[in-house]
Amino acid sequence: MAASNSSKLFRAGRSILGGFSNSYFGASRWTSPLNHMEFLSQQQRAFIQMRTNLKVVDNSGAKRVMCIQASKGRKGARLGDTIVASVKEAKVGGKVKKGDVHYAVVVRAAMQRGRCDGSEVKFDDNAVVLINKQGEPIGTRVFGPVPHELRKKKHLKILSLAEHIA
Amino acid sequence: MRLEKCWFCSSTVYPGHGIQYVRNDAKIFRFCRSKCHKNFKMKRNPRKVKWTKAYRRLHGKDMTQDSTFEFERKRNRPERYDRNVTENTLKAIKKIDKVRVDREARHHAKRMKGKKAQLLREATKELEQSIHMVKAPAALQQDPSLTLPKIKVKVTQEQTEGNGMVE
Repeated sequence: MAASNSSKLFRAGRSILGGFSNSYFGASRWTSPLNHMEFLSQQQRAFIQMRTNLKVVDNSGAKRVMCIQASKGRKGARLGDTIVASVKEAKVGGKVKKGDVHYAVVVRAAMQRGRCDGSEVKFDDNAVVLINKQGEPIGTRVFGPVPHELRKKKHLKILSLAEHIA
Repeated sequence: MRLEKCWFCSSTVYPGHGIQYVRNDAKIFRFCRSKCHKNFKMKRNPRKVKWTKAYRRLHGKDMTQDSTFEFERKRNRPERYDRNVTENTLKAIKKIDKVRVDREARHHAKRMKGKKAQLLREATKELEQSIHMVKAPAALQQDPSLTLPKIKVKVTQEQTEGNGMVE
């Protein structure tokens, strides 16, 4: 467990350092000197920390959200954690408006998360579902795949709304 | 517990190994190790990468159709636990593996069949053409048994050691 943690940290170490130094650039990727071709279209894996932009995948009205606080974790939030986020971009006439502050749960993270059987999962992008203080989702639909880490975190309503559980 | 197949190289991914990448269209890609994962990120087509099973099957290097593959089809229905069934399955797995390995060996042998004859042909040709690299032409004229005998030559004691040097 310690070994896998250290290897994970080593792998994400590049992006953590990148994240810390570029902490005011949020989820921007810094291309390593090797990739002078633009084929690496996948995201660099990093924690979700303050100023991270995330996609909202429910129908609560918000489109993009910026993380203000990762509730647990010194380095940031990962897959399945809750964060406090501020709505940056919202649809007109949705339940939430621009500038609202809500809790949100991370349903997809580009950073791989270890499962209890030893394997790791990672998704294509960083996405959240807005919830209230009690943990119930504000929206009524969830788009895209969600991990079953949410079952352990007791977000069963989101799991029931999901169209695919990874 | 389920043994999955690596998307890139088609080897089995045992529990505790590999990375699972879930794309936003809910397609799951499993990789057995970072080699396969990195090749995937490079957008390489496994059908063109020589060491993958996909390439080998496509180019006829490995068996494609066999009845032993039917046993490994993915079944999504969980089986009710029955001790006898489990015991028989374990025995059958061993037997099926043996049969499959034998058939693959036979396929490989069939593929390599003309090799020996071709090697022999190449060796004789090389002997005729390049014998001057090994032995001076003057020596060949003096002792004609150092070349490959086109006609049957009576093998005596000194000639056999001459043939040994030609090898």
